[in-house]
Amino acid sequence: MNIAEIIFLLIKSWTLIGALVALVFLTVGIDRIDEDAQGAYAFRPLLIPACLLIWPLIIWRWFVLETGRDQWPKRHKPPRESHFWVAIAFAVAIPVIMLLGFSQKQEWPADFKPQKISSEQEQSQ
Amino acid sequence: MTQKKKPFFVGYLGIPKALKGFLLKASLLIFAGFATGGVLAGVSQDDPGEAGFRFDFGRQTVSGVIQAEPYPILHVTKGNERIKTGRTIMLTGQGKSGVSGNKALSEETVVDATGIILKRGDLDMLQLAGGKRGIKITEAKDELPESQYLGKWRLQGEICDGKCLVGAMQPGRGLAHKACAILCLFGDIPPVFVSTQPIEGSEFMLVGGPDGGPLPESTYDYIGQFVEVEAELERRGDMLVMLVDPATLKAVK
Repeated sequence: MNIAEIIFLLIKSWTLIGALVALVFLTVGIDRIDEDAQGAYAFRPLLIPACLLIWPLIIWRWFVLETGRDQWPKRHKPPRESHFWVAIAFAVAIPVIMLLGFSQKQEWPADFKPQKISSEQEQSQ
Repeated sequence: MTQKKKPFFVGYLGIPKALKGFLLKASLLIFAGFATGGVLAGVSQDDPGEAGFRFDFGRQTVSGVIQAEPYPILHVTKGNERIKTGRTIMLTGQGKSGVSGNKALSEETVVDATGIILKRGDLDMLQLAGGKRGIKITEAKDELPESQYLGKWRLQGEICDGKCLVGAMQPGRGLAHKACAILCLFGDIPPVFVSTQPIEGSEFMLVGGPDGGPLPESTYDYIGQFVEVEAELERRGDMLVMLVDPATLKAVK
């Protein structure tokens, strides 16, 4: 199995699990955690693409809401507090990643001279 | 209320005086940063060189004899002002399609080929016109020019897809172009090896597999990278053809 096949298998597995989560969450779960969604069905197919991609987050939020652990006033506090450091980290990480990429770039082997390792006669013999 | 008044930026209101200096510095820094990044990324790229579709030549029609393996090439027997008699040119279809799938293009078939020329240096390719206009197969058969075996060689360079290399894309080679090149090869576009230095006067070689057929798919991981490879070299018409040994293919450090 080559790298492309492994990546494809991972993507396929991820979206397959996402599809199962979408099926259960959009038919059962969403009614249990959001009373505004009860009886509303037309919008649910629109959520399928997001379910395919971020299904771990959906399972986590479903668990938190279902078990009554949600503290909604505090929900946005931690991300806001980390914005400054995330911005600094990105400002450092992006140039570092670019420099790493450039450092790994292959050099055109301009000095390599083609080498003849057998002659025309060897073929005709 | 003792809360200290902090200046606060609101997009649709005037800029608070205390933030004007910061805003100016930040804007200049971002502008200079992006401009520098753009210049650095640009100068780090190789010059793609002169190549491309020659739409200015208009549609060209030539006659010649087909050599089907490893990829169909045309030995021109009746040329014109742009494509001289005696030239050997690669053939391609529209988009990412080659012409290997056209079973009528068998060995030694004489055809009239019509299309647009792509050109890079001494490497020519004819993109055939769509439908039945592109190629007219005659009943005649003709002899192929005698091929000349040039020995086995160890080479370094890059295996590219022939169409993008001759100018269908700019640049049409390198790591950034790898995915496009592999798609082209899956579409039977002829691969071309770019050698670090010319061999027998040419730095471009049509690439085939060790059995004389198309390049094996097992080699596609190396497309678009700088590689070393051992290959049998032949001159067919005025084109060099290399039949690579996949077992010797490796990336250059």
